Amino acid sequence: MKKILIANRGEISVRIARACREMGLRSVAVFSECDRAALHVRYADEAYPIGPNAPGESYLRIDRILDAARRADADAVHPGYGFLAENVEFAAAVRDAGLTFIGPKPEIVRLMGSKTAARGAALAAGVPVVPGTGSPLPADASDAHIAKTAEAIGYPLLVKAVAGGGGKGMRTVECADDLASALRAARSEAGAAFGDPAVYFERRLVRPRHIEVQLLGDEHGTVAAFVERECSIQRRHQKIVEETPSPAVQPAVRRAITSAALAVARGVGYTNAGTIEFLLDERDRFFFLEMNTRLQVEHPITELVTGIDLVRWQIRIARGERLDLDPERLLTPLGHAIECRIYAEDPDNNFLPSPGRIAHLREPGGPGVRNDSGATAGAEVPIFYDPMISKLAAWGEDRATAVDRMRRALAEYHVAGIRTTLPFFAWLFEQDAFLRGQFHTTYVDDLLKQRGGRPFVEASAAAEEVAALAVAIQTALAPNAAGSPTENSRADAAKRWKAYARADGLRAGPA
Amino acid sequence: MTMQYTMEIGGRVRQVAVRRTSHGFIVSIDGRESNVDAVRVDANTWSLIVEGVSREVIVTSGRNGSSIVDVGSIPIAVSLNGRRHWSGKDSVEAAGPQRVAAPMPGKIVRVLVRPGDAVRARQPIVVIEAMKMENELRAARDGAVAEVNVVEGQSVEAGALLAVIAGSE
Repeated sequence: MKKILIANRGEISVRIARACREMGLRSVAVFSECDRAALHVRYADEAYPIGPNAPGESYLRIDRILDAARRADADAVHPGYGFLAENVEFAAAVRDAGLTFIGPKPEIVRLMGSKTAARGAALAAGVPVVPGTGSPLPADASDAHIAKTAEAIGYPLLVKAVAGGGGKGMRTVECADDLASALRAARSEAGAAFGDPAVYFERRLVRPRHIEVQLLGDEHGTVAAFVERECSIQRRHQKIVEETPSPAVQPAVRRAITSAALAVARGVGYTNAGTIEFLLDERDRFFFLEMNTRLQVEHPITELVTGIDLVRWQIRIARGERLDLDPERLLTPLGHAIECRIYAEDPDNNFLPSPGRIAHLREPGGPGVRNDSGATAGAEVPIFYDPMISKLAAWGEDRATAVDRMRRALAEYHVAGIRTTLPFFAWLFEQDAFLRGQFHTTYVDDLLKQRGGRPFVEASAAAEEVAALAVAIQTALAPNAAGSPTENSRADAAKRWKAYARADGLRAGPA
Repeated sequence: MTMQYTMEIGGRVRQVAVRRTSHGFIVSIDGRESNVDAVRVDANTWSLIVEGVSREVIVTSGRNGSSIVDVGSIPIAVSLNGRRHWSGKDSVEAAGPQRVAAPMPGKIVRVLVRPGDAVRARQPIVVIEAMKMENELRAARDGAVAEVNVVEGQSVEAGALLAVIAGSE
């Protein structure tokens, strides 16, 4: 293996290209029209256009991606997460083209990609699952049949997309009155996001935690499990903060849940990186939820507490190498790691996406901080894709230290030009129950409801005075550029340089 | 030489005066003076030392000629000399018709009301798809639908007026 095509964009494409560079492999990026200047294109060794902006015309086009692989003479394909990462046809097409797919075999992607078949695999391995229909709801089912099925499982229940992931195509239903509209919304969203509108019902556990187990399996029958990740901090079913180890998981539960994950993975002959998600109730009972047959968004925190490079191992496993990691080491975390998913969303406008040009960016750094980013200053956050800007992770020798570091890193992180969820995280990291590690999957939704729309971004009188000072001084130094300090015209650039020179002169002594 | 400005910040008008000195500036805000040492770090970034307190701010251009000054992670809109102030979101006034506008560019996937329909506060009016998520735009208060300006499947720009809801009185 000498050259890897990365069938993705943004931060994960950069992450994989970095692993390639460290391993002496060439990386090949692909890009849609609006991503021509994106970081992942600039970082990779080679880059090929694959079509217009809509994902369906570029990042989801198997033919164009394989064509790029041929043109680049790549010998392997890494799918990242999202887009085609769990698409059976893609995994099969890569194999059929004589290339190595860096992930599990297509048969396993198919089996575990169907949430209902995956439940069957878990049951076969003796692992409990959340009560539910276990099979997709027929598209032509009568209203009466649907109502009866829902009644049998009991409310509250979840409508979930069979092909789902990332909270898309999922709706909570509190009572029978809301069933029809939730079903319609979930089917429509699932159809749009995954090309498959099939949904099923599942009981919603009360105040559960979302706990997941990272796995690596080689092609020689060895499967290893890593210390659990805690992913209960979610907004509308989307993970927004992850940490490891879980503050709620005691060593005995860790043994049990990682053993269960290993049993499921071994039962299906799993290879490469994958993650099994569980719900953990308040009495330490856990239930299989689903398996993600790919690298997970939140993989960096596992890397931070185990020292293992998961992407490097994905590539090594795909090359046929043997997994020779000490299983005890993987279950014994060093310290604690937390990740925040920083989104281009406006927390003061119901977290609606806030796409646009990043006018200014300063990323945090220093001890224990890792920021996996796909954004750069001057770049657009396009409206066509997931609005995540970066994954900010903090490591500390214990949870309290990791929290302190995250707060410090959040304060260092400056993004101007678009709204981001940074102010929301700064607030979350002051909440009592969060700091005590006492939360569940709807904790953040409940907390936001209690907050009742009070703005996250509130300027103090002192901050307003600083803003006034800055504008007054900038205007005094460059009066003609007042109010448009970022315009790109030549005349303005010249004015800016004059302003620099003048500001410098002022600093050096009397003007 | 002293430069005088009128600024509006957070709905309040302030009188700001700037005077150069041999080692920086004296800035007065509504008559209160501070010594400021100011250095422009790059096109957007200023390092200010205000009476010994170090502040880094980022100044970018906002809408309608205003400036957006990021102090810490708080963006503050400043409009100079009476330029129109933009609040930064689609605020719904306490009285008068509600204008349901697209908060971002996207595709209308569902229109859930028709002109003349009575609507309750928080009732979904339109579902817009952007960034692969469906977002419901809801009524802020009780009222009656006066206008619907979009159809399902239509693409809209940010700020496009989607519907108008008249007050219930």
